[in-house]
Amino acid sequence: MTAALMLDGLAVDFSGFRAVDGVSMAVEQGELRVLLGANGAGKTTLMDLISGKTRATEGKVLVQGRDVTGLREHRIARAGVGRKFQIPSVFSGLTVRQNLEVAQSKRPSVWSNLRFALGMSEKARLGEVLELIGLEAEAEREAGLLSHGQTQWLELGMLMIQDASVILLDEPTAGMTQGETAKTAEIINRLKGRHTLLVVEHDMAFVRDIAERITVLHLGRVLAEGNVAFIENHPEVKAAYLGKQGIA
Amino acid sequence: MAGPLTNYRFWAYAGFAILLLALPLVGDEFWLNRVAKYLCYGMLGAAVALTWGYAGVLNLGQGLFFGIGAYAMAMALKLKSYTSLQQGSDQPVPDFMLWNAQPGAPTELCCITPGSWMWLPFQWQWTGVIVAVVLPAILAGIMGRIIFGQRISGVFVSIITLALVLLVRLVVTDAQPLTNGFNGLTDLGWLTVFGHEFDPYAKGTYYLVAVALILVLGLSRLLVATRAGTILQATRDSDTRALYLGYDVPAYQTFFFAVSAAIAGLAGMLYVIVSEFASPSFLELSFSITMVVWAAVGGRGSILGAAVGAILINMIEAHVSETESLVEAWKAIIGLLFVVTVIYLPKGLAGFAHERIARLAGPRAALQLKEEAGQ
Repeated sequence: MTAALMLDGLAVDFSGFRAVDGVSMAVEQGELRVLLGANGAGKTTLMDLISGKTRATEGKVLVQGRDVTGLREHRIARAGVGRKFQIPSVFSGLTVRQNLEVAQSKRPSVWSNLRFALGMSEKARLGEVLELIGLEAEAEREAGLLSHGQTQWLELGMLMIQDASVILLDEPTAGMTQGETAKTAEIINRLKGRHTLLVVEHDMAFVRDIAERITVLHLGRVLAEGNVAFIENHPEVKAAYLGKQGIA
Repeated sequence: MAGPLTNYRFWAYAGFAILLLALPLVGDEFWLNRVAKYLCYGMLGAAVALTWGYAGVLNLGQGLFFGIGAYAMAMALKLKSYTSLQQGSDQPVPDFMLWNAQPGAPTELCCITPGSWMWLPFQWQWTGVIVAVVLPAILAGIMGRIIFGQRISGVFVSIITLALVLLVRLVVTDAQPLTNGFNGLTDLGWLTVFGHEFDPYAKGTYYLVAVALILVLGLSRLLVATRAGTILQATRDSDTRALYLGYDVPAYQTFFFAVSAAIAGLAGMLYVIVSEFASPSFLELSFSITMVVWAAVGGRGSILGAAVGAILINMIEAHVSETESLVEAWKAIIGLLFVVTVIYLPKGLAGFAHERIARLAGPRAALQLKEEAGQ
């Protein structure tokens, strides 16, 4: 089976500074991969390269075996890459339900969206996702009025309903309370299997909750890759990133 | 959006339509002619709401599209005027072209002044009607593709549109032999449809404009209620998020920008039928900015609200200008009105009405509305 997401020697050169410097990795179908790394290791830049926000100067990105390197952002999104940014970004003037409706539309062109009602199966799926992210009671509320945690969950729900095969999550628990973090972990665990996930996260307790395999980046390169135990005991990782205490 | 809200929205539109159609029962033809002009402005308000309120794109050059619509119609009607037909040629020739012609130039529409051949297709009045609506849409489509395609947004779009309308104004006033320059196009004939002449001071012409406005408002409202309309509002709130959901954001912005331009073109066309002149003052910056004020006061988040805002402000202005002491002060009054609305009623009269109705409809709906209003 082809890997859901395949990076091959991916690199970007910002006038001499190589923020990502030859990263190769393969994420299998339905896998949840955590990206670790100190500030400046190139985690967010790597996501920018995959999603098309930044153009790679070298290397390739393959999504479900299809080369998407250098495509424009919305085309990469249509190829099956969904992304959640570090700062939650939803449509604040629309209701929660409308946010999901926008994310759900399968046909992206203006003309095919000059219609009103959702189909029955679409409505059913929308209800399902509302339940999964626990926002049924908020469906008719304007998204701009949601709490921080709720906003993050709505954005996760939008990625679910968008049905992206590969989902990139940049620090999904940033700024969350413990309770919210736990619920987020639950939502993310439900995404596993159906979607392939690449998650940047610093909260180690959270990483242990969700991680199968971890890839550690350091100065734009892959330093190590393996399961939690392997990474925790990896001497170079300890030296480069975790410090002497290891993963707390 | 649930139950009572959707209903009252529908009744607001229906009530407005009934009111417009009933006006001829209470007013004379001169008054109706004046109201018809305001209805054209109402259409402009709706066009501004569509781009500014729903797409988040503040076009400070909407007058460009209004002007194109007006000039296209005026060219066709000019060729139908009595004076144009009396210049001793087989084809009609506008009187001002004679005054601007080089000595010895043939009195023919094809070649009396440089570029006068551009008028040839306008001998058929429907050329004017079609160009008035289609050309603004095409032009807006091209502008949109370039501006939005480059991911230009916010104030920069306003600056570009503003510069463009001034540029076109310069060209129009400069091309005296072709456009009659500062004087504009006056002494026009009447639009004739199936033998019916649209006398600007007849009720038929008022109905033409009223029905056009009702259709524009109804269709625009339906358009923003489609999924495409929701997606457009989504791009307004976060174009990045929309992009990462796989939407070609510039395509959505361009589509609605073009629709708005077509509406403005239609407004310009109807305005000429009613007022019997086209003037480069339509292309002045102050006119385009005035439209934005109408929409802001009426409520840019509501297509009906913006239209009503435009109509009301102009009605008030007409009354005020009859009181001599207030004529000079009018500009200050409208400026003040704008400032007060922006500070105290950021969602305009429509947003205010929205909240009031909600309060009447009961606490549950009120809560929902309050949330919708973003408090």
